[in-house]
Amino acid sequence: MKRFWSANNFTLTALSMLMAVVIGGVLIIISDATVLAKFGYFTARPSDAFESSWLLVSTAYADLLKGALGDPAVFSAWFSGEATWQQAFAPISETLTYAAPLVFTGLSVALAFRGGLFNIGAQGQAVLGCIAAGVAGFTFGLPIALNLIVAVVAGVLGGALWGFIPGLLKARTGAHEVITTIMLNYTAGLFLAWLVIQQGIQAPGRSDAISKAVAESAQLPSPGGVLRVHLGIILAVLTTAGVAWLLNKSAFGFEIRAVGANPHAAKTAGISVAKTYVLLMAVAGGLAGFGGATQVLGTAHALTPSVAGNIGFDGLLVALLGRTRPWGTLFAALLFGALRAGGNRMQSFSGISLELVTVLQALIVIFIAAPALVKAIFRLRASRATGLGASLAKG
Amino acid sequence: MANDHIDITVEPGEVHALLGENGAGKSTLMNQLYGLLQPDEGQIVVNDEPRVFKSPRDAIAAGIGMVHQHFMLVPVFTVAENIALGAEEVRGGPLGWLDRRRSRRDVIETSERYGLPVDPDALIEDLPVGAQQRVEIVKALTREVDLLILDEPTAVLTPQETEELLTVMRSLTAMGKSIVFITHKLKEVKAIADRITVIRRGQVVGTASPDTSEEELAALMVGRAVSLEVEKAPAEPGDSILKISGLVVDDDRGVRAVDGVDLEVRAGEVLGIAGVQGNGQTELVEAVMGLREVRAGAVHLEGEDLVGRSTKRILRSGVGYVPEDRSHDGVVKEFSVAENLILDMYDRAPFGNAFRIDGDSVASNAKHRVEQFDIRCQSPASLVGALSGGNQQKVVVAREMSRPLRLFIASQPTRGVDVGSIEFIHSRIIHERDQGTAVLVVSSELDEVVGLADRIAVMYRGRVLAIVSPDTPREEIGLLMAGITGDTPEGAK
Amino acid sequence: MQRKEGVLRPVRGKRIVAILAAGGLTLAAAACGEAPEESGSTGSSPAAVAAYKACMVTDLGGIDDKSFNASAWAGLQAAKAEAPSVDPKYVASSSEADYEPGLRGFVSQGCNFILAVGGLMGEVTTKVAKDSPSSQFGIVDSSSGSPNVYPMQFATHQAAFLAGYLAAGYSKSGKVATYGGMKIPPVTIFMDGFADGVAQYNKAKGKDVKVLGWDKAAQNGSFADSFIDQSKGKSIADTLVGQGADVIMPVAGGTGLGTAQVAKDSNGKLAVIWVDQDGCTSAAQYCEVFLSTVVKNIEDAVKQAVVKGAKGEALAASPGYLGTLENDGVSLAPFNQFESKVDPALKAELDKLKADIIAGTVKVESANAPK
Repeated sequence: MKRFWSANNFTLTALSMLMAVVIGGVLIIISDATVLAKFGYFTARPSDAFESSWLLVSTAYADLLKGALGDPAVFSAWFSGEATWQQAFAPISETLTYAAPLVFTGLSVALAFRGGLFNIGAQGQAVLGCIAAGVAGFTFGLPIALNLIVAVVAGVLGGALWGFIPGLLKARTGAHEVITTIMLNYTAGLFLAWLVIQQGIQAPGRSDAISKAVAESAQLPSPGGVLRVHLGIILAVLTTAGVAWLLNKSAFGFEIRAVGANPHAAKTAGISVAKTYVLLMAVAGGLAGFGGATQVLGTAHALTPSVAGNIGFDGLLVALLGRTRPWGTLFAALLFGALRAGGNRMQSFSGISLELVTVLQALIVIFIAAPALVKAIFRLRASRATGLGASLAKG
Repeated sequence: MANDHIDITVEPGEVHALLGENGAGKSTLMNQLYGLLQPDEGQIVVNDEPRVFKSPRDAIAAGIGMVHQHFMLVPVFTVAENIALGAEEVRGGPLGWLDRRRSRRDVIETSERYGLPVDPDALIEDLPVGAQQRVEIVKALTREVDLLILDEPTAVLTPQETEELLTVMRSLTAMGKSIVFITHKLKEVKAIADRITVIRRGQVVGTASPDTSEEELAALMVGRAVSLEVEKAPAEPGDSILKISGLVVDDDRGVRAVDGVDLEVRAGEVLGIAGVQGNGQTELVEAVMGLREVRAGAVHLEGEDLVGRSTKRILRSGVGYVPEDRSHDGVVKEFSVAENLILDMYDRAPFGNAFRIDGDSVASNAKHRVEQFDIRCQSPASLVGALSGGNQQKVVVAREMSRPLRLFIASQPTRGVDVGSIEFIHSRIIHERDQGTAVLVVSSELDEVVGLADRIAVMYRGRVLAIVSPDTPREEIGLLMAGITGDTPEGAK
Repeated sequence: MQRKEGVLRPVRGKRIVAILAAGGLTLAAAACGEAPEESGSTGSSPAAVAAYKACMVTDLGGIDDKSFNASAWAGLQAAKAEAPSVDPKYVASSSEADYEPGLRGFVSQGCNFILAVGGLMGEVTTKVAKDSPSSQFGIVDSSSGSPNVYPMQFATHQAAFLAGYLAAGYSKSGKVATYGGMKIPPVTIFMDGFADGVAQYNKAKGKDVKVLGWDKAAQNGSFADSFIDQSKGKSIADTLVGQGADVIMPVAGGTGLGTAQVAKDSNGKLAVIWVDQDGCTSAAQYCEVFLSTVVKNIEDAVKQAVVKGAKGEALAASPGYLGTLENDGVSLAPFNQFESKVDPALKAELDKLKADIIAGTVKVESANAPK
């Protein structure tokens, strides 16, 4: 217990989430007219206001949890044979479905960050991954398994290309990767919007912006029905292990960390900083492209202008929340996935706007980025734990 | 525990030197005096009055100022703006505007009163290190302090700048100010201090007067007898290893820094390059190491052309390199000692290959080197950033000497390194020479060059003015460093 | 005042309370009102017993798009007014990936009627409907093969045909224009009808009024690629005016407001034909520039379907609902402030044309029309 109250990273993260949930609760209350009305006679009968507030907030958060992890009622229905196991596991399936692409884009940002690069371009790289994987998925018509592998590889290469360009520009001309990746985000988004309405890409018989569907053999295997979860989440866990190994055990990872921590010393010790930047951005781009590929091959199954959603930008937050460590990023992505999945249920059952989830995500990241605030509020003992600010300052 | 029941008294108008190795607890002590740290026990008494300093603001109010080892200046601000920072002259209430004219006037006034010339309108980033330090001192003096703490002020200065600083310190004490002078450089202590307190491992181990010999002071500091002379047998030079001819190199701003240098280093000898910092030594060495573009000329290592090779290939051809700026170029502070020890060998046997790194062999190598080079750290897994400067430097030296070498280049090998470590590093360099390695040492400390070198090349404005024997009188070398050739024949060229 | 103290008091544990209090500051002013009488029940509304849950999933436009999401929601509200057992709710989608969980969420909640708004949700609605054969779905602007999906579609081209005829008759420059928000059938169907209406006018009068912004034969024209970007609507309008158009029909939701602004600034030189809901109601600030509106009566269609469902009547997937001029599912809105500016002869021709379309003597066709 004593250790808990020292300001280590785990405690800070947990308390940041708590703070976000508390503020979120306040927002839920003040955005509900009925409950708010009860505060109108607060002094006359405070119990009304408290009861209704508690009911509202607890129902909302209960729905958030049920939507993310599972509804006990459905589980008991399953045991008594009134519901299927698929229904019982549907919430977990949703969480994992939303988390899968975020793991990849988060790893992309985290890895680049460890090498001292701020990859704002995960979005564009993911879009390129979507495009390449999607086009490969409905073009080649290869046999099962092979078709999937080709489509995934195409997605990775598409993203890698989109990462390679800013890496090369930085190495050759010193152009700052933040600027170039942002510009490439726009380029990728507009390219996708143009591409999906081109002949040969657009779904036949449709005049709206949607591409042909990815061949079944190129889709990531999924249980189907209410379970949208697909192979992508397993690939995501494997990739996390791979990135962790790359970073900590491989020669390239050593170069990344050395260049990220002190490029001058790395250069003096004979490490080519320029080469590392280029390769690192290509690998980071490939990871984001992988994320885009899982989105198209796993959930969307066709290209639309907004098929990549916000996975690249959410990846930034995920990486920051995971403190740019591979396994931390995985858990942060799962948390974000759970919030999204739970948020859907919260909106659907309690009628609370999905935007609240975005607010919760933002609040958690803000509190983690400002550890001093959390420490001050909870009077934590100082410890050597570094806040996000400290670990970011190195960049 | 960084400080263990230390008592120290500073009288008005004296220079009180606080002598101790890196990590002995000098800075910790002074940070308490300046309100940056709070003591667990004991008290601070100023003019017979016990005081508690919660922040530097309190310390300044009590008349105590401090100039840190790393300057606390904003590079893009002018001198006057930096000095005003934290005590801005504001007109028109809390939301008023800065009174720049008055700040400027204050600066000029203070600098004239104490004879510390500074240009109030110059940008900090344009000033040399010595001038920046002067700005820090003026900044403290404008706060009307009586006691000035100078934390390792000469660590970053050239010999000339050091001399100027000592003059300033003398004039300040003459005007009644007291100075606490933190250092580990014995010569300076003897030259300026009125009283000397020696600290070792957080405790006062003795006080001394300025006429104590350097050997005695060093022994007090390190806790054992230290040899200040470099002990070495006469060199037995062999074949020519490094041959530099007609080398021309530009600095970062595109200005010619090395302007036609010819040098030769033979196996089994130490060639020392003496010169005031900024005369092209840095650029010369960086060009040899492939870190800087060669404009013209040639660099050969036993006949192999090094120009155009990558730094990695040069290191792999049997060249060891200790860069002059340790924390900038030498170590990755966020890395462990073990990782820093393989920073240029990580992808070669036995530590790894192009793909993976073998953690076990990295660890056993670290264990071995830490013992061999007497690196003081909690464990090889400790972060290098947590080590003292001397131990960081030992990490760099250990790394660069841990493979068969043909040529060893060391720039400022003992800058910011404590006495005990200096002795050790010097002995390793001589040891390397005796193994038959060609050694090139660049140092702006003349003592070091004279002590180590078998031949001395003096550089001035990008050229080698002369190559002289270490027996040459100091004055003569000093004149050469100032660019005065006098009756010396044409020199190296 | 007490609250302020709470914020400042540095006692552990009080701070969270303080934040809660700060959040509730807005409530403080009226906190002294009187409590209502305790009601006997525990708060469940009487409708809850036999509630007919009508649940709607919006598309990316969100519930406040002032266009078809808003219309559909208004339809649910209207249904509740008519049949009190109707209990409407909605979820807004923030990305395409949200459509499926939105629909499935309502399935697991046991909604009686699940409404997908917008043709873009067609495929996913079919998929979810197949997995949940016992639930009743509805979809706006799309058809579906599933027996449990009630399609609500609109022969918008019929009304747009009238608008095209009106525009051609009203135009003095001989050039009229249209542009779309996105190249999707529910948009281009308007443009097809508009172009045909102009062609009909040219044929009847032997004139040569040109249509800018849409080529029906090539199915190609101007698109803003946005339903919300007003500045885009402005710049497209400027371009079209530069080419000589004096009547523009933007089929682009909020983007069209930019065009209305251009018309307002032109002092009567440019007139706008609005779409979906009567412009003088949905964008009243620009009423003075709206020549007329091609009305697509989503609200009524949704209302009728829900009320029917609430009464226990079956919603047959085939033929579903098709809004036409005949059943007033689509129509040309009143001229409002242009009442006096439109030639009575032209009005008479429009009435005649409408009757002819209903009777089938004038055929209006579009490749984008619902099948």
